[in-house]
Amino acid sequence: MNGSLTDTIVAPATPVGRSALAIVRIDGPQSSAILESLGCSPLPDERHAVFVRLKKDGELLDECVAIRYLAPRSFTGNDLVELTLHGNPLLVQRVVSAAISHGARMAEPGEFTERAVVNGKLDLVQAESVADLINARTPLQAKLSLSNLGGSLSETAGRLREGLLYVISRLEAALDFSEEGYSFIERDDAIARVDESLNGVQRLNDTFRRGVASTRGLEAVIIGRPNAGKSTLLNRLVGSERSIVTPVAGTTRDIVRETIELGGLPVTLSDTAGLRDSDDVVESIGIDRAREAARRADIILQLIDATAPDEEPVETSAAVIRVYTKSDLADVPEGELGISVPAERGIEELLARLDAVVRDQFVAPEGSAVLVNERQRLAAVEAESALRAARFSLADGSSEEIVLVDLYRAATALAALTGGISNSDVITEIFSKFCIGK
Amino acid sequence: MSRFDVVVIGGGHAGAEAARVCARGGARVALVTMMREAIGRMSCNPAIGGLAKGNLVKEIDALGGLMGEATDRAGIQFKVLNRSKGPAVQGPRAQCDRDLYSAAVRAILDAEPNITVVEGAVTAVSPGFVVALGDGSTLHAKAVVITTGTFLRALMHSGETRTQGGRFGEPSAEGLSDSLRAFGLELGRLKTGTPPRVAKDSVDFSRLEEAPGDPVPRPFSILTDALPQPQVLCHLTYTSDAAHNLIRSNLHRAPMYSGQIRATGPRYCPSIEDKVVRFADKERHQVFVEPEGLEHPWLYMNGISTSLPADVQDRVVRSLPGFEQATIARYGYAVEYDYVNPQQLDPGLQVRGVAGLFLAGQINGTSGYEEAAAQGLLAGINALQFVREENPLVLRRDQAYTGVMIDDLITLGTEEPYRMFTSRAEHRLLLGCDSVYERLTPIAERLRILDRERLRRVEARISRIARAREVTATPLTPDKTTLEWLREAGLSLSEKSSVERLMQRHDFDLDAFLMRAGTALPKVVSALRELTEEERESVVSAARYSGYIERQRREADKVSADEELRIPATMTYGLPGLSREMTEKLSSIRPASLGQASRIPGVTPAAIAILRMHLRRSVDVR
Repeated sequence: MNGSLTDTIVAPATPVGRSALAIVRIDGPQSSAILESLGCSPLPDERHAVFVRLKKDGELLDECVAIRYLAPRSFTGNDLVELTLHGNPLLVQRVVSAAISHGARMAEPGEFTERAVVNGKLDLVQAESVADLINARTPLQAKLSLSNLGGSLSETAGRLREGLLYVISRLEAALDFSEEGYSFIERDDAIARVDESLNGVQRLNDTFRRGVASTRGLEAVIIGRPNAGKSTLLNRLVGSERSIVTPVAGTTRDIVRETIELGGLPVTLSDTAGLRDSDDVVESIGIDRAREAARRADIILQLIDATAPDEEPVETSAAVIRVYTKSDLADVPEGELGISVPAERGIEELLARLDAVVRDQFVAPEGSAVLVNERQRLAAVEAESALRAARFSLADGSSEEIVLVDLYRAATALAALTGGISNSDVITEIFSKFCIGK
Repeated sequence: MSRFDVVVIGGGHAGAEAARVCARGGARVALVTMMREAIGRMSCNPAIGGLAKGNLVKEIDALGGLMGEATDRAGIQFKVLNRSKGPAVQGPRAQCDRDLYSAAVRAILDAEPNITVVEGAVTAVSPGFVVALGDGSTLHAKAVVITTGTFLRALMHSGETRTQGGRFGEPSAEGLSDSLRAFGLELGRLKTGTPPRVAKDSVDFSRLEEAPGDPVPRPFSILTDALPQPQVLCHLTYTSDAAHNLIRSNLHRAPMYSGQIRATGPRYCPSIEDKVVRFADKERHQVFVEPEGLEHPWLYMNGISTSLPADVQDRVVRSLPGFEQATIARYGYAVEYDYVNPQQLDPGLQVRGVAGLFLAGQINGTSGYEEAAAQGLLAGINALQFVREENPLVLRRDQAYTGVMIDDLITLGTEEPYRMFTSRAEHRLLLGCDSVYERLTPIAERLRILDRERLRRVEARISRIARAREVTATPLTPDKTTLEWLREAGLSLSEKSSVERLMQRHDFDLDAFLMRAGTALPKVVSALRELTEEERESVVSAARYSGYIERQRREADKVSADEELRIPATMTYGLPGLSREMTEKLSSIRPASLGQASRIPGVTPAAIAILRMHLRRSVDVR
């Protein structure tokens, strides 16, 4: 990303492929001129849809509907043109080429959104949720991205920052107006308020696992001894014969992956090589990969053959669901979940269990602020550590200017999530709330 | 007709500094004032310094200015404010005898053979520069520094009465505003006020709270060994419902409320009528009763600045405990005056587009003696540099409060009188009074404006402190005496232990350390004993807060790349991609560096990115 921010760019806004309609966007100072060169003359009023026969060198390219947006009232904040063409990739390509021949440059991925951010039309969190929204694979994911695009996370970060501004302005007043005979804030009150912000930031940090899971989806890995029935279960869950099933132990060697929706999220199931000591080089590699996949998994389905119950220990921090297979052939221990794919037994129960695990441990609560990527997490972690330091220096009696170093650091970190904070904000806050001056 | 290198117009706190520093630098200076005896006059409260303002005075002292020296000669109560907090936010303040103060300023200026004091009213300044006086005479100068304070088209308000003039009993400067407009400058209007003065012998002091100074007063100037004046008390009293009701029922007679004054007054120095209206829930407001001098018959009523009519002022004052029988010797009044939007100045306080014309002090929209003096000093230095044909001095925001103030003024402008606060400085921990000489005196030395004695004292101070830091940072040797002493003090010796490490502990008590560590750590103790009390506190706090100070240093260094990316004065902002709004903002402020551009309100990160690209490209081309 990050070409020049000042030239005119063009790109299809809809995916390549045949469809009823396709949209091409042109953004930048020359967008109107390019529209005119393509045969749209006179130019239509801003935000008025007009029918245009697009031409290049007298030759008809396509018939389209064109809308012109003028800065700053557009998605990017620049002059922007949207052309709705017929949905044929060849037509789209010809129109894009024609725009380029009139001075536009092919946009790089994400460049329209980047322009919206630098022009202040979207904050960073909102821009990130645009990308997440586009990539959403389930209705629930789309809902979460829409919530952050609507400002849920930005609002929460903003509220936390405002809470800090309250404490900051009063500590500043205590420094700059210590002679005025007022008490601006008691230490205990300041500590309580910093604690409150700290709790808020911690709560935000705690959402990260759910947020990432909810936007990216989950990894569930099926592990177990050879011939425990892993491939059979995978095939049953995805509803097709994805994994080769034979009575021979060690049939599955590489990892087989397939995605299904569980608890509202896309969950990628991986079938792995059975865990045992093997002299076969290829199988050994497969077994190492299985263990590695288990370490990184969100959910582990640990299969145990009810006819030969023997568990292979795995290292993981994932949610583990123990499943006894072949429950039609042998007894399952009391309180354990047993299934049999051929007898179609326990499958509904297993799906219900998976659903519950996804919802209880991974789905972000609807409508609330959630951290969904590493950048957001780093900012929130920085805010948390700064608030801890401020909490510490407040409690040990340090002077205000020392406490403030960390409070400003926390406020800046929260601002890094979304917006900005300036010293004049602090001074305005002081003057709006206190009678200062002898 | 007389020729000078520099003409300074105005003999207030800004003008005095400007004239003095130009003379020190070898320039021939004329100081034009309407009244010789008004030079260095304290128009409002009889005190110098305070929070953040005290830092400005120390900066002036470190750069060779006069305010610290004059204060030490006239100070009658010294107190370091925020003493319980860290050194970065401590602010020294001194109550002064106002007559002794202006006498001290006059004496300091009289000692400079390069200064000619010209008594007269400036009627016009024209390019070239020709300064015309009321008596028809003219002065010619290569550079002009205008420091007219509150005197430009000044109007005093006391109740319904209006009088032309910038200070009680002194006239207004009428013609000069037109000259400034002829130079292309836009003028605005500001307001300030002053409280009533009360006859000292009409006050019952037994009913007032005493407000003493520090038991061991600390001078401002590094040149001062001992303070010449005796130290006196100030007092406190408080307003009550009675006063508030009186003010409320007479608000329609206050010029600010009746619409007689439209100019903006300072939020942080509100009149008592403002306080009563805006903070109606406050049961009382503090009044700081300051002596106007050792023998002076008046008291200054700090906290009840007002322009209410005389009869209301009488009743309000008499409602204060201790003032039941008080008589007002001079009534409070408000002053309205012209100022120049400082966004029209460059970072050297020179009018943009008029080489050699400098503005400093209240004319730039500030409030306060210290703010004025610091600007006067900088404008003076830069007028001198202009005459010498050398580069102007611009102090960075991480280098001095003076740098913060000037950058704020020229970048943000101001719509109310600007006062210095520590919270305006984002790198506050780097700007403590204790480090001022290290930061600034070397600059003054390079500019050849420093007297030998000051330089000698500063160098001695710096090397004393450096020596103390060195020995305190040296790892302790685990010999028998040291170990024994540590055990007695309840401390254990870990690897890399040093006195510096001990100082970082919250329970470290320097006095106890000096008393008890003599035999175990003679070198450390003797190095610390060579320091003054203030220097010792500085060493301890530098050790204690080193982590925080280093962090601010790093933050300051991080933004310095943008500060160093200079924007040429000839820059035209018709850059592709810059919106009309951005182009207008940038063209009207004309920032000197990318860092300054980024602080202009409303300038977007996108505009800064475009500007950065453009500047980098033109640097590469060169």
